[in-house]
Amino acid sequence: MRRQLIPAAIATLFVLAIQLVVFSGLRFAGVVIMFVWLWPVAMGLAGYSVLALLVGLGAGVFFDLHSVTPFGLTAAVGMILGYATSRLGREGVGDLDSAAWWVAPLIAAGAGFVAPLGYTFAGFFAIDFQLWRGSVLAMMVVNATAFFILSRPVIRVARSIGRLGEGAIR
Amino acid sequence: MAFDRKRRRTWTYSVSFLVLLVALYMSGGIVANLRRVANVVVAPFSWSVSEIARPIGHILAGAVNYSDVVAQNQKLRYELGIAELHANEAWSLERQLSEMTTKLNLPFIGALPTVAAQVTSLSPTNFSASITISKGLKQGVLVGMPVVANGGLVGIVISSGPNASTVRLITDVNSSIGATFGNGSSSLIISGNGLNNGLGATSVPLSDNVAPGTVFSTDGLNGSLYPPGLPIATVSKATLTPGAATFDLTLKPTADLRNLTYVDVLLWEPST
Repeated sequence: MRRQLIPAAIATLFVLAIQLVVFSGLRFAGVVIMFVWLWPVAMGLAGYSVLALLVGLGAGVFFDLHSVTPFGLTAAVGMILGYATSRLGREGVGDLDSAAWWVAPLIAAGAGFVAPLGYTFAGFFAIDFQLWRGSVLAMMVVNATAFFILSRPVIRVARSIGRLGEGAIR
Repeated sequence: MAFDRKRRRTWTYSVSFLVLLVALYMSGGIVANLRRVANVVVAPFSWSVSEIARPIGHILAGAVNYSDVVAQNQKLRYELGIAELHANEAWSLERQLSEMTTKLNLPFIGALPTVAAQVTSLSPTNFSASITISKGLKQGVLVGMPVVANGGLVGIVISSGPNASTVRLITDVNSSIGATFGNGSSSLIISGNGLNNGLGATSVPLSDNVAPGTVFSTDGLNGSLYPPGLPIATVSKATLTPGAATFDLTLKPTADLRNLTYVDVLLWEPST
């Protein structure tokens, strides 16, 4: 477990840095691509449930500390996405080697599509009823497209980190 | 659902940890420290990513946008010339107005001290419209101070560290501002609709005679979060509310919030 955790933590910090430096500044149709959500999705699709949960939590908490939105929502959504995709990943659905090339990107796109909606609904639990007033549909479409395009290389990175301690944690 | 023990334990620990963090965060006392720690941890990674990404971004932007940059530069030079001319003309008028408002015991923006600050980052997420600026408590920037730039109100300081502050933009969905127009006889509330959707106001009486192009400014009523007279937005569309004798207004911020580089923080605090 330790063999995977340290590289996963370092990779998560790099993911966060890429999010803050690159993606948060690059707005497509005014929308920020949430790379911090793609990372747990990729880890989940690679089949690593525990790691997906942990990187979703870590990336989300650090991201929330850089944002003025209700604290913990990004982390909660990241964890749920990571776990949900890991259920598919563990069944081999979306495996990069055996499944069709578009399966993993399509699942990631689905995750990217529902993530902003999930965040908006999660806002109700944080007693923030204003989040839906943003361009939620635009966020869903842009993130789904971005997740579709970026998922395969990110899953490869996630898989290479997961394989560092294959069998120890899965 | 078949949870194995390890995943169940990870779920439990993760959720407990998150709930604990949220509770600590909401208690308020350790927020600044948590943010500082997060910044310190992420800073080296951000620096290395930035060092790699910036030259690539510059090459791409330079290749794609060169002609736009040249045209923009020419336009800016022209606008600077006009602005300097207007500034010279306005100087004497401003002094007169300042003197008059002082006599009437009203605050006036021209008389308020300001702190110029650089915008260091934009909101990293889709769900808030905010910016981080390079000045904080050490320079006298406090929570609640209004921020202006590019010819209008930009937002309000919502958190302040030693050398940095976070400003909630007027377009944020949690922003609402008391506004007035014309002779100041009527007031309304302008709300943010998200960074990409500008501003809006609902249930404006037909008798107010609001038309596209009307400029709204802060009303500065007693207890207001802003001093009076700060330009907020211009009406871009007025639609009749279905089934009611009122307008719904779509407004465009007076300040160009998409191109903020420098802002001025007004060293003004709301009266209690």
